[in-house]
Amino acid sequence: MSEQASALDAILARKQQTAGEVVSVDEALVKLVFFSLGEQWYAFHGENISEVLAESEVFFLPGCPASLEGVINVRGDIESVIRLRAVLGLPDSNGITGSRILLGQARAMRSGIRVDRVEEVIDVQESAIQPPPHTIPEHLRPIVLGIVSFREHLVHLLDLERIFEDYRAGLR
Amino acid sequence: MALDIKRFTARFVEEAREHLVNLEAGLAALQQEPADQEVVNAIFRSAHTIKGSSRMLRLAPISDTAHRLEDLLGALREGTLTYSHALAQLLQSGIDAIAAQVDEVAQGRELAPPDEALCAALARPLTPDAETAKPAESVPVAAAAPGEIKFKAADSVRIPLEKLDELIKLMGEVVSSHARLRQRSRDIRAIERDLRAGSAGRGARVADFARELKDDVQAQEALMEELHGKALILRMLPLLMVFDPAPRMVRDLARSVGKEVECLVSGSEIELDRQLIDRLGDPIVHLLRNAVDHGIEAPDVRAKAGKPRHGRVSLSARQDDGGVIIEVRDDGAGLSLEAIRDKAVKKGLASAEQVALFTEAEVIDLIFLPGFSTSAIITDVSGRGVGMDVVKRCVVDELQGAIQVESKPGVGTTFTLRLPRSLAVMRMLLVAAGGQTFGFTAPHVSQLLRLPADQLLEVAERHAVLIRNEFVPVVSLAQMLSLPAQPAGADLLLVVVQTQSEKLALRVDDLIDERNMVIKPLPPHLAGLPLVAGMVMTGRNQLVSVLQAPALVGMARRGSAGSKQTTIPAASQVRVLVVDDSLNTREIEKDVLEAHGYHVTLAEDGLDGLAKARNGEFDAVLTDVEMPNMDGFALTAALRQEERYRDVPIIIITSRQKEEDQRRGIQVGADAYIVKGDFDQSRLIDTLKSLLG
Repeated sequence: MSEQASALDAILARKQQTAGEVVSVDEALVKLVFFSLGEQWYAFHGENISEVLAESEVFFLPGCPASLEGVINVRGDIESVIRLRAVLGLPDSNGITGSRILLGQARAMRSGIRVDRVEEVIDVQESAIQPPPHTIPEHLRPIVLGIVSFREHLVHLLDLERIFEDYRAGLR
Repeated sequence: MALDIKRFTARFVEEAREHLVNLEAGLAALQQEPADQEVVNAIFRSAHTIKGSSRMLRLAPISDTAHRLEDLLGALREGTLTYSHALAQLLQSGIDAIAAQVDEVAQGRELAPPDEALCAALARPLTPDAETAKPAESVPVAAAAPGEIKFKAADSVRIPLEKLDELIKLMGEVVSSHARLRQRSRDIRAIERDLRAGSAGRGARVADFARELKDDVQAQEALMEELHGKALILRMLPLLMVFDPAPRMVRDLARSVGKEVECLVSGSEIELDRQLIDRLGDPIVHLLRNAVDHGIEAPDVRAKAGKPRHGRVSLSARQDDGGVIIEVRDDGAGLSLEAIRDKAVKKGLASAEQVALFTEAEVIDLIFLPGFSTSAIITDVSGRGVGMDVVKRCVVDELQGAIQVESKPGVGTTFTLRLPRSLAVMRMLLVAAGGQTFGFTAPHVSQLLRLPADQLLEVAERHAVLIRNEFVPVVSLAQMLSLPAQPAGADLLLVVVQTQSEKLALRVDDLIDERNMVIKPLPPHLAGLPLVAGMVMTGRNQLVSVLQAPALVGMARRGSAGSKQTTIPAASQVRVLVVDDSLNTREIEKDVLEAHGYHVTLAEDGLDGLAKARNGEFDAVLTDVEMPNMDGFALTAALRQEERYRDVPIIIITSRQKEEDQRRGIQVGADAYIVKGDFDQSRLIDTLKSLLG
């Protein structure tokens, strides 16, 4: 925790110099979709998320891996729903209300992604994305693109291309 | 014991009567305009639907009559038969017969067998044509580099303008139908206002509204169905795409291996959905290659066997029961069981002891195993590319079909593919199990059963049910899918699914629906899931998984193999020969006996049993009565003639309960007679034990 706090301090300090969330016209912007699993915040690149679905009924699919919640109907197309918690090795969140499904699109596949809460969809400056610190757990390292400080949260920016690629390889 | 399901009967009667009305109307229209192809098509479809749904409910007399009617209409449609007054009368009598049968069903009465004279009369117009209808050898296709044979998949379809116009006209209808619904919405608002104001005559207005709305919904439904049907037809392509290159390909292949082979093609005008046509090319090429390479003998060998030097491979298609049957037949030497056994052992697919015990059908099944190829050396023709395992996987898993092999030594081999016409819409049975809903495609459902729980037999720690002289394993669908069990009622509800040679009875909690449904594919990354073929959407917008029956059968078999290992006690020296023509029954009896430490050998009919008995030594023989080639009585009598089997216990296990049969069994020399209906494993084991002393 203290490690994380000091990392946060360092990033916040750096961030102070780059004008925080105030958009500067000179700098390239990237759209990020911020969401949370429990207390931890994460983000995907906006170009990988085609929509945020609310209140979609998820249907049972026999014989599917535990990390797959089931399937949903998105305007006539069948899409799977992946439990992101399971993919990241987190325990199930029991009885969280208002959870959402992000519709993720990568080169390897397209699928719904179950998250606890969608926090914000916003443009940030590219420079606000810092390289991941060494304190990141081993199993997350390959899929974390960087760290963004946002609303006093230390946000993990996740690599959806890589997550889906691994997921698809795991299904074969 | 086997009850057909009442709810489905009621729906069938309703549906059949509708189609009978269509048939009547169509026949009348034909009198005015005998060449009207659309009318012929429409009544053909009606006859066809009656046949299909009656077959599903095991109403054989109706499906038989409808089948003949359909054959006639099919010939009329294809132009091999021309309309005449006599034909119309014949068709009319067929329709009348079906109507009478449907009335019987509606009243809950048992159906009498179909009128033989009528069936014969219905079949007559088609018999003389059977020979002449076969087209002569097809004209070879121009330009295609030899050896480089590949069927082209179609990326686009040519659509006659008139079909497109029909579709657009229907879209116009949809718009006006929507306008009517908007009017209804205004009407109900007006009624609502009236209700609040308390004006007179409200009841009548509400009734009017309900009637109008019902009419609109019905019209909408008809419209939708028509639209759907028309849209699907746009995707249909003739088998010609796949069949046309076949004769040339076969001749080229034959030349390259020094054989003389001609290829006959028929039925290439039959249309299938593009999706199937696209994927049929590879399996058919492989089967043709296989026929030329392994099936047809070299000219000299043929001449020695007294056959024409010219071999013959035929590729034919015909319509059947909502689907299409494609046959690849050769007049070669037939499959060599010996070669297959050897190869399987050499490839490590089975042990020598195992294959020695396999029945003929089981040996033939070996060719579908991955990594199997009967060719001694890898030849240019069939030694590369797809194998038979790929053919089977493509037909069964991807195309929702079935593949069957028939082989007679010296006469030839026939591969039969049974395929649906379209994968997009299929007849679907929806059931509930473990609190979820699941779908089965009709071709995989063999029958539905409701029976009291005490009729379940317990064999080898598994449940089974006796269906027509055959033990079929029973498993709970919920349990198989690791779902919570629901409280069971007094009666068991069983869906019997069928693959080529095996049946499995799945216990379900409820039957929900049976209708044509659109199958939606799973996303590509889930295509590898073995259990689910796709999804269908119910009226309540629920997504329902369509289960792959072959995968379930495979899962049940593996499950039982796993449990068997734990129950086998120390090896025993007692060897038992089990003779039965049903695979399921053999397997179950084997399980029971092996669970009690017996060493079991299987035979699939009396002749097979006799041969195995002569070649081996057995301490006891268990046999069924009704079997092809040689029945159980004859087998028993024959064994008693053998020195070695004069005193060996022979137990007859049969569904024949009559006393005279029992007497006959004892007369021919059987030691015990067990009726399958009251079969329980301890009785079999006790009998065996006491006979063996």
